[in-house]
Amino acid sequence: MSIYLPIAELSVNLFVLLSLGGIVGFLSGMFGLGGGFLMTPLLIFMGIPTNVAVATSANQIVASSISGTIGHWRQGLVDFKMGGVLLIGSVFGSILGIWIFKTLVASGQIETVISILYFTLLTSIGTLMLIESSQVIRDRIRKKTVKKKIHYHNWAHRLPFKVRFYKSKLYISIIPPIIIGFFIGVLSATMGIGGSFILIPAMIYFLGMPTSKVIGTSLFQIIFITAIITLLHTTTTFAVDAILAFFLIISSVIGAQLGVLAANKLRGEEIRALLAVIVLVVAVKIALDLLVPPEEVFNLSVLRVIF
Amino acid sequence: MHIKSSIISIILFLTLTFNVTALVIGSDDEEILIDANFSGQDLLVFGAFYADPSQPRDEKGDLLIEVVGPSEDVMLRKKKSFIGFWLNAYQVEFRDIPGFYYLSSTSEIDDEFLDQNNIGILKAKRSSEIDWSSLTINWGGLDSETDKKEFNEALIRTKTQESLYKETDNEIEILDGNLFKTSIHIPNTVPVGKYDVNVYLIIDEKITKQYSYHFTVTRIGIEEAIYNFAFDFPLLYGIISLTIAVITGWSGAELFRRFRKS
Repeated sequence: MSIYLPIAELSVNLFVLLSLGGIVGFLSGMFGLGGGFLMTPLLIFMGIPTNVAVATSANQIVASSISGTIGHWRQGLVDFKMGGVLLIGSVFGSILGIWIFKTLVASGQIETVISILYFTLLTSIGTLMLIESSQVIRDRIRKKTVKKKIHYHNWAHRLPFKVRFYKSKLYISIIPPIIIGFFIGVLSATMGIGGSFILIPAMIYFLGMPTSKVIGTSLFQIIFITAIITLLHTTTTFAVDAILAFFLIISSVIGAQLGVLAANKLRGEEIRALLAVIVLVVAVKIALDLLVPPEEVFNLSVLRVIF
Repeated sequence: MHIKSSIISIILFLTLTFNVTALVIGSDDEEILIDANFSGQDLLVFGAFYADPSQPRDEKGDLLIEVVGPSEDVMLRKKKSFIGFWLNAYQVEFRDIPGFYYLSSTSEIDDEFLDQNNIGILKAKRSSEIDWSSLTINWGGLDSETDKKEFNEALIRTKTQESLYKETDNEIEILDGNLFKTSIHIPNTVPVGKYDVNVYLIIDEKITKQYSYHFTVTRIGIEEAIYNFAFDFPLLYGIISLTIAVITGWSGAELFRRFRKS
């Protein structure tokens, strides 16, 4: 059964669409990732125009991050104050990101730039995950346990405008979280990602937040940043496809819940290694699309119909 | 929607004559409705050379059937290899070109005739009247006539690949030497708006009879409503999209929590 997507202006197979949302949701539930970094390129592979894929992903991430935040919030693992400070930065970042996005659409380079950004991002994530999971597997075979450092003291503690974050037991300057938020905002708006895989390590290593509160807090701020980005996209790029978003949301919410269940039962490292391989395959495909000479060098798009 | 058949024929019944002046018209101003399940349909054009049926075909002249869709502005981009990467290096705007074009004739018609009578897929195909001021991206090295021709040809080629442009001289069926019939495929990607159908009878390189009518293509259904809503009320559309996301995300998590508890 195929379904017509009004903004993307094409028909796609509903089963393929639901499977895509379900699988990405499952992986995100399992590994606690947003999944936007896989969703957007896979949508593009399906033939969805780049701008629609990016803008619609933002809308879908709103739903998946709400779903995720609730669980963490119930356990008291969300630092709302830190989330708010991060959000200040990311609001400005996303406005810049939307401007960059619009400029790229106008200059015809959006596909290329998005491809290069995704290639860089997926290659780094894939490689890191592969290294990390293979180390864990190796350590398990050698029956080693890894000790982790909990708290870091660094330059973030020496800047002005210090504020107390009771939940995270921190007394740091608000400048680093605002800068981190700004950077994530730019990435979110241009790439259609939540950015948790960058935000989480940044919060742990740069801000020294306790690991237990990091996921909930990042999810919490991602709700708002992707919501703002969705609105910015609907009003400036007109690229959010409500039908596409709806089916992706339904399937990814179900997939994410199943992923959480599966994560409790399965041993993660092998699957994480598999995910790393998937991510790298996607990266290679993106690179090939950029490098292989196209069959048709011309590309036509309708600007407007004159009545 | 249309359970019985996906093919709806719009029937044009007309009669072309040499010496009798009457043109008999069956119907005009028809409408083609496109919904989400629309997979294209065939437009049937038929009629008769209303002359002496015993006359040989050659003397009845040639028939030309033209369908011109609504005008649109398009952007044509050309990729170029740039240190191994294929990037959009050129971008040209074409203004006021037909969004759909179909031309069919009973025999091969030479370009000169088409030019004189202003018929044929864009004059762009033959002349190079491309407006270089509309070259909004130019990474250099574009000036010659060959380049202009290349862009014009690429425009026709890409539109043809999308089944939106077609020129043919073997699709009109002649029955009994007097009746003619042709079916024109309207794909689901056609632009909405007014379409002109022109039927010409050509004798001795001259248009001796011409008959025109038009039909409209309209998009209907929930998908079309969403499309219009997204462009007419973008902020409201965004808020609704968000509300759906919030409700689905929240209720999904709630449902599973209760399910796990029980």
